[in-house]
Amino acid sequence: MQIPSTYEAAKQVEDAVLKELDRHGYDDVAAFAVKLALEESLNNAIKHGNGLDPDKTVEVDYDVDARQITITVADQGGGFDPARVPDPTVDENLEKPCGRGILLMRAYMDEVCFSPCGNRVKMVKCKNCTAQGL
Amino acid sequence: MATQGPAVVLTMHGSARMADAETMRTALAELTENQTTLIVLDMTDLDFICSVGLGAIISGHLRTRHYQGRICLVSPKPPVMELLETTRLTQLFSIFPTVEQALA
Repeated sequence: MQIPSTYEAAKQVEDAVLKELDRHGYDDVAAFAVKLALEESLNNAIKHGNGLDPDKTVEVDYDVDARQITITVADQGGGFDPARVPDPTVDENLEKPCGRGILLMRAYMDEVCFSPCGNRVKMVKCKNCTAQGL
Repeated sequence: MATQGPAVVLTMHGSARMADAETMRTALAELTENQTTLIVLDMTDLDFICSVGLGAIISGHLRTRHYQGRICLVSPKPPVMELLETTRLTQLFSIFPTVEQALA
């Protein structure tokens, strides 16, 4: 599905995904993880990728089954290199208001894979894994 | 929001998603504009917060430093506490089990 680059549209997608997770019996730990990773990836797409441009869209696809959820988020921006994002947990970056999204996506999902260009991310969370992607 | 002498207690509820961050940012900006000495964020009923919400809190923290004020957190739920630990923001903010202890 394609959504406009607005926070309200992102919320509707998140709510739909969470409803599917609940329908498939995912627990609260998994639901929190997916909600967080989805929120972070959508924020990156809407704000950083598409620059909050209402004329640009974000493509969100998800597939939920009894084993895992797979989510793909893609924006229309020029992309970026995830490897060049500074580590937000080092002392000198702790007081920076932003830059934690990718850290959280990687910490809470079992798989996070960016396209070579960086404007598409695929995330996987297995239903019965323990918290924080372990 | 409740005022306790020189301190203000802000009670957070439900989910603090990216759409809510601007409201948080505005509330904290107003308090720091007034140089509120101590801002207590009561997270007892907060189920979820994302990095944008955390960023709003950090922005407030940076403003308090201009006048030697501070922000502290109260009783985050386990998932929110894990998030604070994952981001190492437990190094930046004092966390108390109750509002009373935060105000003491």
